[in-house]
Amino acid sequence: MLLRNPKATLVAVLILSAALISCSRSSSSSSSTAIPRTADGKPDLSGIWQVRNEAAADLEDHIARFEMPAGKGVVQGGPIPYQEWAAKKKIENAKNRRTLDPLENCYLPGVPRIMYMEFPFQIFQTPDHIAMTFEWSQVHRTIYTNGSPALEGIDFWMGDSRGRWEGDTLVVDVKDHNDRTWFDKAGNFHSENLHLVERYTLKDVNTIAYEATIEDPKVFTRPWTISMLLHRQTDADRIFEYQCQAEKEEANGAFEPDTKTWYPGPSVPVQTPPEWKDVQTAWKAPERKGEIKRLADGKPDLQGYFMSDGGGANYGLGFHEQDFLTPAGRGVISDPPDGILPMQAWAKTEAASRKLPERGYDDPTAHCFVAGVPRSMYVPSPLQILQPPGYVVILHERMAWRTIPLDGRPHLPDHMRLWQGDSVGKWEGDTLVIETTNLNGKAWLNEVGEIQSHAARVVERLTPISADTIQYDATVSDPLVYTRPWTISFPINRQKDELLEVACHEDNQDLQHLKDIRDEARAKARGSN
Amino acid sequence: MKSYRLAILLAILGWVVVPVAAHHSFSAEYDFNKPLKLKGKVTEMKWANPHAWIYIDVVGKNGKVEKWAWETGGANALYRRGWRKEDLVAGTMLVIDGYQARNGSNTANATSITFENGKKLFAASSSQGGASGPK
Repeated sequence: MLLRNPKATLVAVLILSAALISCSRSSSSSSSTAIPRTADGKPDLSGIWQVRNEAAADLEDHIARFEMPAGKGVVQGGPIPYQEWAAKKKIENAKNRRTLDPLENCYLPGVPRIMYMEFPFQIFQTPDHIAMTFEWSQVHRTIYTNGSPALEGIDFWMGDSRGRWEGDTLVVDVKDHNDRTWFDKAGNFHSENLHLVERYTLKDVNTIAYEATIEDPKVFTRPWTISMLLHRQTDADRIFEYQCQAEKEEANGAFEPDTKTWYPGPSVPVQTPPEWKDVQTAWKAPERKGEIKRLADGKPDLQGYFMSDGGGANYGLGFHEQDFLTPAGRGVISDPPDGILPMQAWAKTEAASRKLPERGYDDPTAHCFVAGVPRSMYVPSPLQILQPPGYVVILHERMAWRTIPLDGRPHLPDHMRLWQGDSVGKWEGDTLVIETTNLNGKAWLNEVGEIQSHAARVVERLTPISADTIQYDATVSDPLVYTRPWTISFPINRQKDELLEVACHEDNQDLQHLKDIRDEARAKARGSN
Repeated sequence: MKSYRLAILLAILGWVVVPVAAHHSFSAEYDFNKPLKLKGKVTEMKWANPHAWIYIDVVGKNGKVEKWAWETGGANALYRRGWRKEDLVAGTMLVIDGYQARNGSNTANATSITFENGKKLFAASSSQGGASGPK
């Protein structure tokens, strides 16, 4: 029949091939509509993720040990191909993990270990950067997808991550590792020559296939690969904090509670005088000094790397001359007009006490804990701002992050208290207004011990006044410490450098000295009583 | 650690032996009246925050090797001033400028290093106002 009617055959072939093409198209389009995509068409990895495996205990097949649940290995075609010397070292590591595991000292876990720990993390995606904020110790990673090269001549606990899209897979080169991180609790390790290639593929809306190929010719006989799934936390709309070092020191008594400022629990509600609200509404937007950048939706584009011109606020919010102990400060208190913190009487006494040498140990930043809000914004260290859809994210070089949702959600329940508090944001004209509550009252405002309690409500306003400058104003209402609300103001200036990494307690040699001073003062006080 | 002021307290109270890594005031520990220039061979470079350290061997007049520890700004500040790990491996010859410690030990605060090829890098130390990076 076909031969007898060549025209019909041609038509039939055309129809058939058209059908095949459309069929293959529809199957590819059905798989691509199954995953969320960003405005620029890339798979959208945004969300809160966590593994459901026991790779954190041991990458290889393992039976249960103390504090280590049993689990199937994630090494493809295992075992891990160690060189002979390295296999011996791994066994020694495992034997002595209680003292040798870097996580026992709350050191930064490194990559890939951070990706499969027992804590969730959140991914924020913009065309140029993919930021990952981890619940564990407020660690963050930035994967640069702007084509910039890895830094050379420096190393990091968390490595240097540069990504690119290969089809729908995000491929990340992670270089510049140090030799101090492990892969798991079982003592699997690498050298500073580690080169990692990670692959992130969104399988469906709630699943990322994660693969990492590990190359380290100093330790292994060949490259090897781990693979696992990351699962979306569909019942969570934020992650919390697990401040490893702070939790550890609170648990073992090395960091003591301060009943004057710490959150005492829900049984003691705090009343804020109603007239304090007026101070908030009195704020006036600063004058614009140049053109500002805008996002596609017309909102100001605050993204980039910045350094606060904090005017010495980290050493005193008011004006102060340089003395032997303290760098000078121009004073950043814009309200009250006299530039002096309106402390209650008890707070003046307490602030004076915090200046004594034996109180030095009590400053949380002496322990390398996070700085809190607003102090995170004026510690002398750079920050990066990202604006993924629905959020403003601030990454601090001194390993801490703030994620500020813009979806109008309410604050956390009052009894949920965090070092960095709970921040929610909204745009008022060209000003980003961030309200932070739920602080735990553990942070100090600066090195001279100016005080903030758990009752503080912090309203920050970030207003771009030119392409390279953001005017920063923060009003603190803390009825337990002050007689009225007060406001600090300073510019935050753009800089060209990417963030590096400050792993604070990698070399925190002074804490023991501070403790000795405190203990000596206590012993003396006991003796004189 | 991140504390500038507390570390100075330590210094005043005499707790600072060497090496101390902190944002301490220059004058608490080092002496502007003791400028120092030494040529030596790098034995170790400790890249750390908030301060890094260079350890060098210096051949003295009598031919004896003296060990010196030089404090600099933090690793990040050094990186931002052009320092790179591969330039400072053990064996590298350097001339280091700076100021000696008040206690007279073989410890000093570096202001700059000069390589044999004449390349000079500033050391971002506390006397130059910045341990953690740009201010």
